[in-house]
Amino acid sequence: MKTNNRWTPYLFILPAFGIYAFTVLIPVIGTLLSSFTRWNGYGSPIWVGFANYVRAFGDTIFLNSFKHVFIYIAATIFLEVTVGLVLAGVLTSRKSTDIYRIALFVPVMLPMVIVAVLWRFVFNGDFGLLNGIMEKIGKPEWQQIWLGDQRFALAAICLVSGWVYAGFYLAIFYAGLQRLPREVIESAALDGAHQRAIFWKIKVPMIRRLWEVAILICVTGGIQGFDLFYVMTNGGPYYATEVPTTYMVRTVFRDQEIGYGSALAILVTTSVLIVGAIYSKLRKQSDLVEY
Amino acid sequence: MKTRRFVFHFILAFYSFFYVVPLFWMFFSSFKDNGAIFDNPFSIPKSWDFGVFAEAWNKGGLSKYILNSAITTSLSTALALLTSSLAAFAFSRYEFRFKKQLLMLFVLGLLLPIQAYFIAQNELFEFFDLKDQRFTLVLPYAGLGIPLATWLLKAYLDSLPKELFEAARVDGSSDIGMFRMIAAPLLKPGIATVAIFSALGAWNEFLLANIYIQNDDLKTIPAGLLAFSTKYVTDYQLLFAALTVVTIPMIAIYVAFNKQVVAGLTEGSLK
Repeated sequence: MKTNNRWTPYLFILPAFGIYAFTVLIPVIGTLLSSFTRWNGYGSPIWVGFANYVRAFGDTIFLNSFKHVFIYIAATIFLEVTVGLVLAGVLTSRKSTDIYRIALFVPVMLPMVIVAVLWRFVFNGDFGLLNGIMEKIGKPEWQQIWLGDQRFALAAICLVSGWVYAGFYLAIFYAGLQRLPREVIESAALDGAHQRAIFWKIKVPMIRRLWEVAILICVTGGIQGFDLFYVMTNGGPYYATEVPTTYMVRTVFRDQEIGYGSALAILVTTSVLIVGAIYSKLRKQSDLVEY
Repeated sequence: MKTRRFVFHFILAFYSFFYVVPLFWMFFSSFKDNGAIFDNPFSIPKSWDFGVFAEAWNKGGLSKYILNSAITTSLSTALALLTSSLAAFAFSRYEFRFKKQLLMLFVLGLLLPIQAYFIAQNELFEFFDLKDQRFTLVLPYAGLGIPLATWLLKAYLDSLPKELFEAARVDGSSDIGMFRMIAAPLLKPGIATVAIFSALGAWNEFLLANIYIQNDDLKTIPAGLLAFSTKYVTDYQLLFAALTVVTIPMIAIYVAFNKQVVAGLTEGSLK
């Protein structure tokens, strides 16, 4: 479309771009630059080249934090995407199931910090709900200080994440399944296919794009995970639940190592972008195969 | 067939019940003193003193956290939506130099995690003395929402017929006039979706809130409640009451508008 003034489009974009540049673009460049320096926030930064990156690749706490994130991602793909998919299948198979869908979505609404504080109580060793259940089912010897134990802390956090997001993916898949064309499913049913077979062999492949995106969100969201980890364990006990962002925040804001923290931030960013790039590459290839 | 349906609903009801059990436990524990909380997590409260919620509200300063969250959320969402719809309008309706490059920069914002910039953003805010003030979080939250809002609103505008705007042009409508009279009204459904998504994001955001706000009077709900839980670390009844106070309104809003909320959240994250 033509305009009366060639500056008009830029004026329309300017406010959004100004805020975005000030809060995101300039800081991205700043983080990148400071990742090549040693700086404690006062005085002037000292240029150290790639030293921070070399240090990161030899930093066992940081490397282990990626291992924890990897476990966390694998667990959430199962607890959120797979469980959400199964629930969506179950709930679309009958009528009048709205109430369950609404109930299971409730945790998604709550701030992660609130969820984390609540679950810290559930896992509490003295009065927690989980230990109460152990008592009730006659297995008091199973009681644990869940979040204070290296064996259980990470699993506990994965479980909470599953509790929050299973209902979220359920909602996504449910909407997708509702939109599927009826004819395909009805003709399969006429051929005598079993309901469960129809679901896994026909419906699930048809909503493939949705669960692919769901897995992508689990992976990229997992790498960025912070709130649950920070509030429930803050990386502890003994770094057992340390993830890149909790470590990064501690490096920058407690140890005042802004340069090193920035390098960690850039590495986390790079991994998120790489995952995104791999996804879009795979996406393009599978499009070629499908059509 | 009847019994099968009964079994189906029974299992699902059982599952859903277990799902929300921590929330019930939270609610019931608000009415129990520490002794009763420690004694048996499943006991029904002996008395129902709703005064505990008022106590959490006043003593713990929940009212100020909620007010701060409301201010920050509404201002940042309004700012993001207003600026994004202007930008989306330009991207969708005009041809201009560097359009593609500028659009790419916005799309980049969809991919970048907050980790890519919060460290230097903090330095920048420190430099300009923007931290720990009433409106500190408005700009960062708006910046967080702008890329997605611009992208989604541009897609909505792209789907509108060209003739609509060309007819208005012939009628002598100005650029800003076309935005106000044609684009803005038609954008309403799109804006609703984006608004829900960015508002909930701002309401729940914690990483930046935790870094930028130290003054307890200015904290938003997530950071405020965390401070509350450190301050009253052993007053479990009060803590449970505080959790209940911030949780119940969210659930009420959700139950009232569940269709819009679910649509807003799922569409927003699928992009």
